[in-house]
Amino acid sequence: MNQPINYAVVRHLILKDWYLNRWLILGSLPVGLGALAIVLTGKQVAFMLSIILLCMVIVGVGAQLAMVTTINERKEQTLAFVMSLPVSWREYTAAKILANLIIFLVPWLLLTFGALGVLLLPGAAHGLVPYTAIMAVEMLITTSLIVVAGVITESQAWTTAGIFCSSLGINILGYVFAHVRGISTYMWGTHVQWSSTAWEVLICELLTVPLLLGVTFYIQSRKTDFL
Amino acid sequence: MNNLSIRMEGVSKRYPHFLLDNICLDLPEGSILGFIGANGAGKSTTIRILMGLVRQDTGSVEVLGHPMPTEQIAAKQDIGFVSEDMRLYGAATLAWHMNFVRSMYPRWDQAYADTLVRRFDLKPQQKVKGLSHGQRVKAALLLALARQPRLLILDEPTTGLDPVARREVIGELMSVITDEGRTVFFSSHNTLEVEQISDRIAFIDRGRLIALDEKEDLLDRWRRVRLVVPNGIRLPEIPGVIDVAGTERLPVLTTSQFDPAVVSLCQDRGATVEAVDSMTLEEIFVANVQSRRELQTA
Repeated sequence: MNQPINYAVVRHLILKDWYLNRWLILGSLPVGLGALAIVLTGKQVAFMLSIILLCMVIVGVGAQLAMVTTINERKEQTLAFVMSLPVSWREYTAAKILANLIIFLVPWLLLTFGALGVLLLPGAAHGLVPYTAIMAVEMLITTSLIVVAGVITESQAWTTAGIFCSSLGINILGYVFAHVRGISTYMWGTHVQWSSTAWEVLICELLTVPLLLGVTFYIQSRKTDFL
Repeated sequence: MNNLSIRMEGVSKRYPHFLLDNICLDLPEGSILGFIGANGAGKSTTIRILMGLVRQDTGSVEVLGHPMPTEQIAAKQDIGFVSEDMRLYGAATLAWHMNFVRSMYPRWDQAYADTLVRRFDLKPQQKVKGLSHGQRVKAALLLALARQPRLLILDEPTTGLDPVARREVIGELMSVITDEGRTVFFSSHNTLEVEQISDRIAFIDRGRLIALDEKEDLLDRWRRVRLVVPNGIRLPEIPGVIDVAGTERLPVLTTSQFDPAVVSLCQDRGATVEAVDSMTLEEIFVANVQSRRELQTA
């Protein structure tokens, strides 16, 4: 029934979104790099502030890019142009998700491994490593949720609701995870301690991302109208 | 001319406040179909179904031999589509758009695109947001034509254009259409431009296809007959009369099946035929729609 995905078409669509949003992407780089430079000073207060700044940049740019690439396509009536090309809904959906997640994943990977690296330096609170990893993956879920909300609904209101829920969720879950016995007990220790609870939370989070993407493709496949 | 570019069989699509009802439409290769309907008649829904962008509830659709929407990618390789509600990316230039579309179409003809740039008087390095509405329509036409489509689908491309720009676009469209001899599906509520371009005509009203015919046959069959009927004279049964206006003594008959024999038939009964007027496509469309609506409400 469905024709196979043409990856060349997906690549063209991704490059199109990156080109059209190049100033947003490039504009976020100096802020992100500046924050990363502060992280590398190794001072505790600066570290915390710059991590918060980095998170804001990554999630903020991710959310903004998701809004612009998914909702504006319909709002500015360019969707008819894209869908008049030899593009299927699967290629369109795949391109939107990848265009957004790749842009997110590059700084996210840098931030995550940078933060974990800093935490593993001598004298740092090594016990924070599981919690940091859990919260980093939570950021990935948050962005995925915003992207899929944009792709599925193509609605500013629903995507804004997605951003609101994600922001609220990350704070609530951050608080909850910091107080779960299996995680909080070892957080401020000098050794990395991966408890079964920490593993369970991390695995659940990691499974949530493909689940979200799978649900997106399923819902898109059920749509009868693409304009 | 035997191959069909478009084949719609019993196509229906239901929305909460609109029903596209049992559309059956065949369009032979090389034809230019003018698809006329009032706003909200179902033109855009029909076209979206043809493009595979909307899935019909019932019925089958084949475009260039491909069942839709399942084989829409293969079909869209050979379709050029321009719609009134389709926009290009404002922040990008026409040159960027040409490169983008070219990357999707192996048959993209750059030399032809350059010719159209000159013919349409466009500037490739200009951003789309800086173009006038007329230039944007021409840019969209260029992007559709340079991919060398076998089927061109135009959904009210001239809506919103000022008269000068509309004339320019129609003029250019006629010249590029005659250049190529491709199949064209042209939707509009402007009957004058449809009459200029098309060789076949379809009328759609309230989601139903109410006429599909060769343009010349349609124009030949519809006539307005002005009569003088003396007192006591009864007119004969005239086939295809869909409207009788005027007075009992000076009736004006509108018929959709005019036959010259009707004139002598009326004269034989003692009536005088004052005039047999041809009708414009707009008059035919309006008369057709009104009579159908009256039949529906009766």
